[in-house]
Amino acid sequence: MEKLNQVLLNPAVQVGPDLAAWLQAGGGLGLQAALTAPTAIIRCIADADLRGMGGAGFPAWRKWEATANAVGDCKYVVCNGNEDEPGTFKDRTLLSASPHQVIEGALIAALAVRARCLIFYLNPHQGSSLHTMQQAVSQWQDSPWPEKLAAVMGHTLEIKVVASSGRYIGGEETAVVASLEAGFPFPRKKPPFPAEQGINNQPTLINNVETLANVSHILRHGAGWYRALGVGKACGTKLYSLSGDVLRPGLYELPMGSSLQELVFHYGGGMLQGKAFKAVFTGGPSNTLLTARDLDVALDFDSVWLRHSRLGTGAMIVISEGSSIIRKVAEYIDFFAKGSCGQCPSCKCGTFQLARLLDRVDGGRHSPADLDALQHLCQILPGSGRCGLIDGAVTVVKSSLHTFPEEYGLLVQQPV
Amino acid sequence: MSETICISIDGKVMAAQPGDSILQTRLHGPDAVTANIGCMGQGVCGSCRCLVRKAGERETVSRLACETVVEDGMQVSFIDYYQPDHVHRYRPHDLRDGWQALPQLQQTFPETAHCRHCGGCDRACPRGIPVQQGIALASRGELPAAAALFDACIMCNLCTLACPENIRPNHVGLYLRRAQAIQNLRPGDLLRRLDQQARGQLSIDTTAHLARSES
Amino acid sequence: MSTAISYQQACLNRASHATSPLRADDLSRAALLAQYHPDHAADASTLLQIGSSRGQPCHPRLAELLQSNALIDGFDLAGAEQRSTDVLVLGGGGAGAAAALTAARGGATVMLASKLRLGDSNTVMAEGGIQAALAASDSPQQHFDDAMRGGHNCADPQLLAQLASDAAGVIRWLIELGMHFDLSDASSDGGKLRYKQAGGCSQPRILSYRDYTGLEMMRVLRETVELEPGIQLLNRCPVVELLSHEDGSCAGAVLYDLEYQRFIVVSARQTILATGGCGRLHLQGFPTSNHYGATADGLVLAYRLGAQLRDMDAFQYHPTGVAWPQRLRGGLISEAARSAGAMLLNGLGERFVDELAPRDVVTAAMLRECAAGRGIERDGQLGVLLDLRRLCGPDQPALASQLPALQHLADKCGIDPTREPMLVYPTLHYQNGGVVIDSQGQSSVPGLLCAGEITGGIHGRNRLMGNALLDILAFGRRAGRQAARLAQAARNKSSLPPLRGGIEHVYRWQRQLALAGLDASQQAPLLYPGQARLTLHRPASARA
Repeated sequence: MEKLNQVLLNPAVQVGPDLAAWLQAGGGLGLQAALTAPTAIIRCIADADLRGMGGAGFPAWRKWEATANAVGDCKYVVCNGNEDEPGTFKDRTLLSASPHQVIEGALIAALAVRARCLIFYLNPHQGSSLHTMQQAVSQWQDSPWPEKLAAVMGHTLEIKVVASSGRYIGGEETAVVASLEAGFPFPRKKPPFPAEQGINNQPTLINNVETLANVSHILRHGAGWYRALGVGKACGTKLYSLSGDVLRPGLYELPMGSSLQELVFHYGGGMLQGKAFKAVFTGGPSNTLLTARDLDVALDFDSVWLRHSRLGTGAMIVISEGSSIIRKVAEYIDFFAKGSCGQCPSCKCGTFQLARLLDRVDGGRHSPADLDALQHLCQILPGSGRCGLIDGAVTVVKSSLHTFPEEYGLLVQQPV
Repeated sequence: MSETICISIDGKVMAAQPGDSILQTRLHGPDAVTANIGCMGQGVCGSCRCLVRKAGERETVSRLACETVVEDGMQVSFIDYYQPDHVHRYRPHDLRDGWQALPQLQQTFPETAHCRHCGGCDRACPRGIPVQQGIALASRGELPAAAALFDACIMCNLCTLACPENIRPNHVGLYLRRAQAIQNLRPGDLLRRLDQQARGQLSIDTTAHLARSES
Repeated sequence: MSTAISYQQACLNRASHATSPLRADDLSRAALLAQYHPDHAADASTLLQIGSSRGQPCHPRLAELLQSNALIDGFDLAGAEQRSTDVLVLGGGGAGAAAALTAARGGATVMLASKLRLGDSNTVMAEGGIQAALAASDSPQQHFDDAMRGGHNCADPQLLAQLASDAAGVIRWLIELGMHFDLSDASSDGGKLRYKQAGGCSQPRILSYRDYTGLEMMRVLRETVELEPGIQLLNRCPVVELLSHEDGSCAGAVLYDLEYQRFIVVSARQTILATGGCGRLHLQGFPTSNHYGATADGLVLAYRLGAQLRDMDAFQYHPTGVAWPQRLRGGLISEAARSAGAMLLNGLGERFVDELAPRDVVTAAMLRECAAGRGIERDGQLGVLLDLRRLCGPDQPALASQLPALQHLADKCGIDPTREPMLVYPTLHYQNGGVVIDSQGQSSVPGLLCAGEITGGIHGRNRLMGNALLDILAFGRRAGRQAARLAQAARNKSSLPPLRGGIEHVYRWQRQLALAGLDASQQAPLLYPGQARLTLHRPASARA
């Protein structure tokens, strides 16, 4: 059975901003179901075990419920499309190829939490996605749907498309809030969580594009259908951004819990030039490495976690034998160093020093003391920032030190 | 007085004497110290910049190692000194014309206008200089006030490292202070002495002291 | 150690006097110095056995280093990176920066190599100020006379006269680079300069910027050097040996690049040594006010190459080094404090010396008090009291605005200067002697110039406050100008890059060591003062 692109990337729903075509492809049925029984939405999402696809893998319904229960007269729902991590390219595809899929899910979320305002927060530097969404949203607004929605909710829903700063840090939840309050996207300390106090201190639900894209399908086909899509205990499907040294890099929607082996060697066409598989950076640069030993891992949040890594955004950056892990790690650290917002000197100075040390190691001119210093930095930096950027930077360095000590010239400890 | 405490410096655990600075403790380590060291405690060279995390604390802060007294369980990572690729070049004689002060600042340090007010520079400064305010004053054109704030700057470059917009605040501050001296400082005593010497006056009799010591 | 009075008791004794009496002195200055100054201790001098200053007195610890073996041999030059320049400046303090800037301005291509980082030097730590006879009542002649007397008439009159005459030009140059000086009245006469009194001077002559004159100077110099396109800056590249031509002239230097852990051979038409002094040798067991890198490296290399030295047994022990707390021991309290009225008191609460006598006299007087049991002991540290109450009177501006660095130091010591005195003890501060130079900074070795603390003769056997900052700039600029001129002349003769030198002089030196029966296993320069020595990394192939 072909398990590729069953739902979100299903060719039938790749209709662009044309609302009529979307409705013809079965669009609207999910929203209709939601309008019929608005109080059942969150239960349905919980039963489906929909996870946050932006990287956390946190059950989506918890944030929905928290926002729904929080007190506020002008709640917000934000669709987070800031996507800017190297190696992740799923949201932009959804937004430009099937914008209504995202919009419908977001409307259902707004209905579930009784929001007054729905904001599409989109990275303007990614092709046509922002433009396509503007077109798609204006088609929704010209349709009878907003009226139907207002009738059930008891008030109108304002819908806005807002360009994000496009900075990596701007995707962090609290930075989204700061940015939408018309400031620089500085992350803030949590708690309070946005579900309690977000934009203008109002309860705010912030979900990733892919998360919301699944919602209309779940409402339309039911939680059981969604659960059955996954492999084993995992539910639904996942978009995997496959890149690196494979024959066919690209975006693949597979059942959640498909194996790494399958993704790389079946769908990805195997390694480039027949080289041996060495490692993969899972979930993007801020996560950890999986090696050839882990090719059997099921690519769902829980299984990857059990291998001390994270599924993250579903980005899979494949490295072949003969490529330097340290070089790659150094590139990621540079990315983090540039993305650091400046608020916490430990993050800015810490990423700088990590980059300096990695540059020395990569250049082969390091001393043993430099390696000690590198590992030490990995101890003192985590948790020192307002947001998780510095933690992410440390995670990737630590993982590479743990997984490939020999590349750093560290002696591999022999078991006694 | 025999209580010893342990701190870790760049991955090496070291025994320290209570009351010692981080820098002194580091000198007792097994490796020759060749960087991040200079004035040895006076706190003026800005070399010994480091990140410090105290035991049990979440926060990691930037400090000068020579002015920070050790505490048990402290973790310290030193920060390299590094000349970035992009520096703002100017020559002292470019600053002579005070009428061009504003456009020249904007041209030399265009990033000054990009401050995003993250406050990282203030937090990074070991001297407690209100760096961000200095940059705000400079970009508003209040140059003497901005310059004055950087008076006690030791050029440790921590604010430069902390700035996400590559403003290099300490270098902006120094630039403003230099421009001020170059444009305004013309002490009368000095002008007269230079003039006298240019006329060949005030030459020194190098034998006078011999006569005096003989008498 | 002899007995001392406890700090608590000394404070009580101090409090018992409304104004502390100045004890009449029963000893002449000459006798005081002879008996108590560390230079005159029995073990503070030996005679050099080899080299161009053979037979001259020198401190024994320094003599060991001067008469030692090289760190490198011919193997290390094989495969090393080769570079060339008109002028190579070694040393990243004020003298090196001034020399490099002047040479670059003179049209030469310049390379400046620094062991630490440009500016991490004694210059940046200088607090008091810089002497310049600018006041109408003053003259270069009086400056000359004061310094000659302070140096016990041992200075080279020609060099000292140049020092005093160059002062006005130096101050102008500094202002042109953007350095500030304190004014006593900003609104009249184009800004009236503030003159401070220095010990041993006939009138106030010190220009300063608060009490961090050196910081103000060095940050301006460093920025100028870093932004000067004509200067290539090599931080963390200590010089490990000089290079010589067959005729014995200097051909450049071998550097060790710490970042890349490799040797760099620099062929230079002219080489300027500005590597400073030797405080970190802790001569006579004294603490030091010097920065981490003051290990006599340049002195050792210049002597090995054949340069003549002088007054290598004359050092300055600054009177007011911090004695307590131990963590800050040896750190400097500027003479500006005494200039502003701070008093030195013994354990009985008496003043025992004119605080503004020349430094060597004050130091000897302090050591005498300690030796006679009138010193003060606090947590095992011995010293005398520096009483700052006169600076903190109600009619005085706050100490933090007058002398911010001193206030900062008092804070670090946990001392409230309005109530408590500080405990001070002499600290090794300055090397009075050094490489013999002519009026342009030329050493006795062709191709090798020197500037700054490494040189000897300018200050005789004791330097006055404020003459070091003047010296490094006056002679740094002279050496830079001369080097550029000579490099230009050489370029006019041949447009080829400078000839590569070798280390033939090292082999000659090794012969002398062996013939004199000296220990050739000891290597120098030290580079870094701690117990842990740096291992120079060598490619395995070169060692095989």
